[in-house]
Amino acid sequence: MRNRPLILLRALLLSTSQGNILKHSTDKKKKKRIVGGIVGAVVLYILLMAYSILMCIGYGQVGLIDAAPVMCALIISMLAFIFTVLKTNGYLFNFKEYDMLMSLPFEASTVAACKFLYMYIKSLPWYLSISVSMMIGYGVYAKPAFYVYPIWIILGFFLPVIPMLAAAFLGFLIARIGAGFRKTNIVQTVLTMIFIIFCFSLRFIIEGIFKDDKVTETLEMTSQITDNAAGVYLPARWFSDAVTGNSVLGILLLAGVSAALFAAVFALVGRSYRNINSALRSHAAARNFRMTGQKKHSVVQAIAFKEFRRLTGSTVYITNAAIGEVLALLLGIVTLIFGFDTIVSVVTQGAPIDTAILRPAIPFTLYFFVGMMSTTACSPSLEGKNYWIVQSLPIEKKTLYQGKMLFNLYLTIPVMAFSTLCMCVSAGVPVLDTILYLLLGAALCAFSTAWGCVCGVKHMRLDWENEIEVVKQGSAVAIYLLPNMFVVMGLVVLVVFLGMRMDHRLLALILILIASLLAALSYLRVLSLSRRRF
Amino acid sequence: MLEIRNYSKSYSEGKKAADNVSLSVMSGDIYGFIGHNGAGKSTTIRAVVGVLDFTEGEIFIDGHSVKTEPMECKKVTAYIPDNPDLYENLTGIQYLNFIADVFDIGAADREERIKKYADAFEITSSLGDTISSYSHGMKQKVAIISALIHSPKLLVLDEPFVGLDPKATFTLKEIMHEMCGQGTAIFFSTHVLDVAEKLCNKVAMIKQGRIIASGTMEELTEGHSLEEAFLEADK
Repeated sequence: MRNRPLILLRALLLSTSQGNILKHSTDKKKKKRIVGGIVGAVVLYILLMAYSILMCIGYGQVGLIDAAPVMCALIISMLAFIFTVLKTNGYLFNFKEYDMLMSLPFEASTVAACKFLYMYIKSLPWYLSISVSMMIGYGVYAKPAFYVYPIWIILGFFLPVIPMLAAAFLGFLIARIGAGFRKTNIVQTVLTMIFIIFCFSLRFIIEGIFKDDKVTETLEMTSQITDNAAGVYLPARWFSDAVTGNSVLGILLLAGVSAALFAAVFALVGRSYRNINSALRSHAAARNFRMTGQKKHSVVQAIAFKEFRRLTGSTVYITNAAIGEVLALLLGIVTLIFGFDTIVSVVTQGAPIDTAILRPAIPFTLYFFVGMMSTTACSPSLEGKNYWIVQSLPIEKKTLYQGKMLFNLYLTIPVMAFSTLCMCVSAGVPVLDTILYLLLGAALCAFSTAWGCVCGVKHMRLDWENEIEVVKQGSAVAIYLLPNMFVVMGLVVLVVFLGMRMDHRLLALILILIASLLAALSYLRVLSLSRRRF
Repeated sequence: MLEIRNYSKSYSEGKKAADNVSLSVMSGDIYGFIGHNGAGKSTTIRAVVGVLDFTEGEIFIDGHSVKTEPMECKKVTAYIPDNPDLYENLTGIQYLNFIADVFDIGAADREERIKKYADAFEITSSLGDTISSYSHGMKQKVAIISALIHSPKLLVLDEPFVGLDPKATFTLKEIMHEMCGQGTAIFFSTHVLDVAEKLCNKVAMIKQGRIIASGTMEELTEGHSLEEAFLEADK
């Protein structure tokens, strides 16, 4: 008898395999896009590996190389956990081909397990690239016995399993709870948002837990925290023991517990799998509509409203696209409640800093969150199979993109303005400076919107099966997100530096002009892209 | 109203999905487009409504070229695809309002038209529900209403009766007759030859991308049934 789970897993992998598309597609544009995506991924792999090796060198230089295996295990586990939670809804639950798969002779637990393995295999190269790079760095400084390398490599395959299972189980719980409510999507979105915010504040929580250890030096403290964390998160300890202490027990525990947990989680998930998916996929119809006065809107407004419904109707989309706005709002409110100085003191761990010099960085700090993701970077691709609607309607592409941009402005500017006001009030920023920061925030939002749209239109991809492919893994989002984030981090430092040497108002004015100019140029680029036919 | 002149569509591997297709649909015509699966019906229809690019030939709607004046063409055209992928997160009424906004229909007019067609298709009470909760047939009804509310001069439908219940099929046929009486040109593809025979005054048959027969129903059938005429032309 043929191995059905293997057949399913193979089909799942093949259905999204770039190699398969390259082999069978005759669409040259699509092939070019795939090659471009592979080149981009290779660059990211190189950066990730270089960063991992450099981190090990840092540890090696200060004589803390023994902490590298634990660090490696913790980094991979943390990344695996966070990324899996964000992907569970869409990959494990509520995916498009659910009806088709479940109508085939597969056990519910088999479908769930294969979807999990699919997620695991797709993300494994990222985790292995970190693991192998850190192994190289460790090898250079620790010069371990030759058999440590194969052990490290083999255990590298197991490292992401337990955190991914934990995340999948958490996603399952969120879905299970959400499935019990009428507004399933809203409950799921809120729970996922709460979890993401928890992850963002994890650093402060960990520091709070280990504060009593009275560790002073930064690297030593990191090493100590790592060590303490490995005491709490045992798989990291097992991995470390296996590669540094040749512990057979460590190897057996990591491999055995991973396998046992896998079996246990999917036996449990399998029981409610059909139930959860049924709840997520079927919507009770109210059938109580009565025709009342309808309102007329401009086409741009109508598109913006459509975008609003698109965002709020998808847990995956809203948790990825609006999390920045939620974090910015929280930062603004928390700053207003606890005071600007207290927040700065928490972030800088009590470093003696004159908080006044940090004021010019307020708009950029908030923009780091608000501009983290622009809906315009993925909304053109999210049209997907619905693209026929706007294509067959008398809507200029320019108008369509303007509608998408308008919605992003509706989403970002009020959040930016509110949070800026909260922080400015809390920091005692003078009124004129506050107005300038509000204008700067608006200009940054305009830039983010238009630049996101350039990326979204230039790298539009309509042939996706799962919206995660666009929202989380799309080249448009990657091209928008990564440079934007790194440049903003640099700008925060630069603005503080310049603020100490020149008048804050003049600096804000210059920055408003630059941001506005960049926004205008990006907008013009959107207009020029909209003149392309098909 | 619709004129297709020597339209061809080739795929990159050289295969022709449509080969030198020419036909004219006049105001008041109900023009059936029939052929096997993969014969090129949807490819032609998608080019007519501006969804699919093409390089050879010309398509004119109300005197405007689909290639060079797509907006003018789309303003007077309505299209209903065979499998309506609508915005699942909008409610039915939100989707219809979206289309009404695009066509700049005033509040009173849209309300009257939506009510008229939604009542006719017995879907009014469901308009407040999200489209994701609709069955295929209900989505098809919303797509049909969205095509009708802006009173198009040309109505293009790809297999419009698939998934519709008998009552809705009857209603759609009635509406098509009514629109045709008001001067709207209707161009639609179908597999159901009985429907085409009763509904259309003109028909074109397509096989492997080529028109193999076209003309008025009387010219094509010559006293036989459309099915017999189709099978004869298909030989």
